[in-house]
Amino acid sequence: MTIDSTTLTQAPVAGPTPEPILRTARIVRLPRSPKVIAGLVILAVFGVVAIIGRWISPYSPNQTDPQNWVQHVLVPGTGPGTGFPANYYPLPFPPSSAHWLGTTVFAQDVLSQVLASTQATLFVGLLAAAIATCLSILFGVSAGYFGGGTDEVLSLVSNVFLAIPGLPLLIVLADYVPTAGSSIFLVAIIIAVTAWAYSSRVLRAQTLSLRNRDFVEAARVSGEGRIRIIVVELLPNLIPIVAASFLFTTLYAIYAYVAIAFLGLGGSPTSSPPGLWNWGEMLREGFANNAIRGGWWWWWAPPGLCVALLGTGLALLNFGIDEFINPRLRAAGLTRRAAKKAGIVSRAKLGMTPVAAHHAQAVSRSQAGITASREVGPEPVLEIRGLCVDYGYGEEAVHAVVDCDLVLRRGRVLGLAGESGSGKTTLALAAIRLLRSPAVITDGQVLFHSKPVGGEGPSGTIDMLAADADTLRAVRWSEISVVLQSSMNALNPVISIGAQFDDMLRVHRPHLSRTARHEMSGAMLELVGINPDRLRSYAHELSGGMRQRAMIAMALALEPQVMILDEPTTALDVVTQREILEELIGLRDRLGFAALFITHDLSLLVEIADEIAVMYAGRLMERAPAAALFNAPRLPYTHGLIHCFPPMHGQRSRMDGIPGSPPDLRALPKGCAFNPRCAWALDQCRHDVPHLAPLNGSAREVACWLHRGDAKVPAELARPDPVIVAERGSVAPPGNLARPPHEVGR
Amino acid sequence: MSANVPVLEGRDLTKYFWVKQGRGPLARRVPVHAVDRVSVRLDAGKVTALVGESGAGKTTVARLLARIIKPDKGDVLLAGRPAPSGRPRSYAAQVQMVFQDPFASLNPVHQVRHHLVRPLQIHHMANGNVDAAVADLLRRVALKPPGNFTGKFPHELSGGQRQRVAIARALAVRPRVLIADEPVSMLDVSIRLGVLNLLADLRDKEQLALLYVTHDIASARYLADTIVVMYAGQLVETAPSASLTDKPAHPYTQLLLSAAPDPDRAQPPHLEGRGAPPSLSAPPSGCRFHPRCPFAMDICKRQVPPSIALDTNHIAACWLHVDPAERQANENGQVLTAGQPLDNESKKR
Repeated sequence: MTIDSTTLTQAPVAGPTPEPILRTARIVRLPRSPKVIAGLVILAVFGVVAIIGRWISPYSPNQTDPQNWVQHVLVPGTGPGTGFPANYYPLPFPPSSAHWLGTTVFAQDVLSQVLASTQATLFVGLLAAAIATCLSILFGVSAGYFGGGTDEVLSLVSNVFLAIPGLPLLIVLADYVPTAGSSIFLVAIIIAVTAWAYSSRVLRAQTLSLRNRDFVEAARVSGEGRIRIIVVELLPNLIPIVAASFLFTTLYAIYAYVAIAFLGLGGSPTSSPPGLWNWGEMLREGFANNAIRGGWWWWWAPPGLCVALLGTGLALLNFGIDEFINPRLRAAGLTRRAAKKAGIVSRAKLGMTPVAAHHAQAVSRSQAGITASREVGPEPVLEIRGLCVDYGYGEEAVHAVVDCDLVLRRGRVLGLAGESGSGKTTLALAAIRLLRSPAVITDGQVLFHSKPVGGEGPSGTIDMLAADADTLRAVRWSEISVVLQSSMNALNPVISIGAQFDDMLRVHRPHLSRTARHEMSGAMLELVGINPDRLRSYAHELSGGMRQRAMIAMALALEPQVMILDEPTTALDVVTQREILEELIGLRDRLGFAALFITHDLSLLVEIADEIAVMYAGRLMERAPAAALFNAPRLPYTHGLIHCFPPMHGQRSRMDGIPGSPPDLRALPKGCAFNPRCAWALDQCRHDVPHLAPLNGSAREVACWLHRGDAKVPAELARPDPVIVAERGSVAPPGNLARPPHEVGR
Repeated sequence: MSANVPVLEGRDLTKYFWVKQGRGPLARRVPVHAVDRVSVRLDAGKVTALVGESGAGKTTVARLLARIIKPDKGDVLLAGRPAPSGRPRSYAAQVQMVFQDPFASLNPVHQVRHHLVRPLQIHHMANGNVDAAVADLLRRVALKPPGNFTGKFPHELSGGQRQRVAIARALAVRPRVLIADEPVSMLDVSIRLGVLNLLADLRDKEQLALLYVTHDIASARYLADTIVVMYAGQLVETAPSASLTDKPAHPYTQLLLSAAPDPDRAQPPHLEGRGAPPSLSAPPSGCRFHPRCPFAMDICKRQVPPSIALDTNHIAACWLHVDPAERQANENGQVLTAGQPLDNESKKR
């Protein structure tokens, strides 16, 4: 059944947000590229000519026009005085009203020949491409899917065909079948035989990668037969590649047909059995009869231009398919245009997140906030004020981060928790302007209060959003370093770990000698628990955990003041994760850097962070000391999130998590973004967006209407703050409230 | 069917993967001991969790039980009888699998309806009314109203909804066994419990036998009746889930539990047995955990530990739980008798 747009928008809360159906979106989007439009127009013209050419052609292509055959040239060496009878050579007519494209030397109409040729050439090209595509699908997909012996045999066949040069084989085949020229089908088959092997290999490679995808495995597990898996599950996923290879093969087939006809292997239209008129044949006749030397351009230019134009058309369309398959290519052009429309000059510069020009006015506003929320604790090192980040521009912009304030203090670990898509990574990377266009910082301020540990590097307060590329270069890595979840894959596989350390030190600490750099690298590795011998190792020789540690060592090497840790241990096993976290915390205690620790795993964060900020749908929703946040959450979302982690002790009981699913940033609910999933949502929550504000007197902030005005705060959100007994980590929850009472004993 | 016969049982499953070592025609092919003599049983109306780190062989066991791959040694028994060779449809009708990544396990070019209709058609389950059967399936996995979902493409659904569709597809053939390979690890934290609760409901209401493969021991404790812990391709401990997490008997299980995030923990945990799992192409002799084990003894290096029954259904493969006299006798080459109960040695911990 189908769903119309009204039922889509009326989907229940748990349902997905409305989204245009992919297929229609693709079809609408495709012709937006001028290249594709040009290609389509060219092909359409040729298509129409090929179909109706027969009927609009003024003459038969073979028909000579005796009435106009009057211009003659005496063949040298004949005629009076030579003893030979006069022999006249005909001259072609230039374009005239009777013959729009002139005539050949045989007084045949060039236009009629072009029209007839277009049909045959196009037909042969398409037919050959169709046959070749079928062959390549047959060979490529079966080789890729069945694998093993089948693959070896089929790949061998296609490799043999790939190794044989196409044109010579074509000539041999065309010569071997003398009647080939008279049959469109024979010509097409001969061309197809030389053309299928390349796309077959491409399809085989693609099938190999698709074969092991889960959806194919799932079809197999459900008992689906092999043929159906190939035809129904695999092939539709290969269509973009099949289409691209079909266009490419068409182009090749047309060139090949023109080439063999030009060599005279296509069979002359006037011989018996008659060959077909085609562009190659026209060119051959022209060249054989001195069309170039005679300056009779109207004879050879039209078929030549046709070949070139059709080739251009197909190539343009192929570009379009590339863009269509690879969305990155498509986005590049569109966003630039959208950016221009929205009045933002975005220089697509790597590692320089563009800042919207109008953000300057907002700075004064947020400056006021800085003094307002000075809290007790170590001095701040990184201050993020009212930061807003969009993806895309103007109307299409998605607001990934909205009005976020964060203060990172020296030597402290600030945890940033949230689900995927909540904007936590965007927030952190925007602060050091590492995001690339189409991300754009639309508002806010990021201040880095630098006090370099080693005395090197920039000091004083740096406005990160106003900083130029050189300042950012000096600050990044040396003062603010980043470790990402995928960092362990960021090590260069062909250079040893030591060389990568060396590179980094040479850039940021130019005065160090080679031996000093080497010693320092070894010391850093030792710091994270890796033997310095490993400097000689390559990335693939280390386990995932070791590579991640090596990255952390590299991030620490320049004694940064701030480390941004974005899910640094998520891809690792629990034991490795624990070891790395222990090391990080130990290093933090020794080196005194501040860390912004981003993760979706709140249960982990509680153990290592001093303070936790919770993000939802691009906004900071709650901020509190870690123990207070976990044991006495004030925000319904935090409360729900905590109860998404089953406990490791006590009675096992059913937990319900949070109903519904995280919102789509493109279609946020009105009011508080969490209200559709919130059990305690008030009327106000559905209309007004709550802002982060301090909670009466305490060090914590929350963005929730339940804690404003005279709404009754639910008991679950009103537990007393835990009493901090001593240092971090030893927190006594008041009474038996570590778990909410309603869960015990169920 | 008698209550004692497990719905699906793997006995002494062993699987080697052969990998090339070196390059060129002279490359040797060496076996990777991915799974070594692993026995698992799945009972109707019970969830068995398979827990371990990546590379421990969890997924291989799941795929062996689903018969996507063939064991090199050992048998798969379906309701007490050896499973038919190959992967006939009769087996697919009884044992189904849910994959880890709901973004990859649904074909992006097909609507939800196609994914559910195919198994119904293949196994002739629809009784002529395909639409009603599809709607029923969607309701069983709490995708309501079904009409909103049948025409959707996978990319139009959220991760949790996709995983529900994948579960619905597995349920379409009315299987007796569902093998779920990390079904929630790719999902957002806030929707994981919903999917786990769905699996729990299916176990309770439809008496499904479930294998829940996971690296997250907390979620295994939440969902499973029995937890099976794997390390480096071998079973190390099997126990009812509360008993396993409260009284872990194997040093590796203890390590795993101490490393898992636990906000209720008062002190930072102390890890016993740091380091990484061994290479499976040349696994350590004896107990595979001995290079990391804080309690390793001489015998651990030489002999594979026996499986010792510590309690009802609580089995650990560890020399610590063997009576010292017997251990000595065994070391001298004498035959080991049946498993001995917990001894003084384990109190040392």
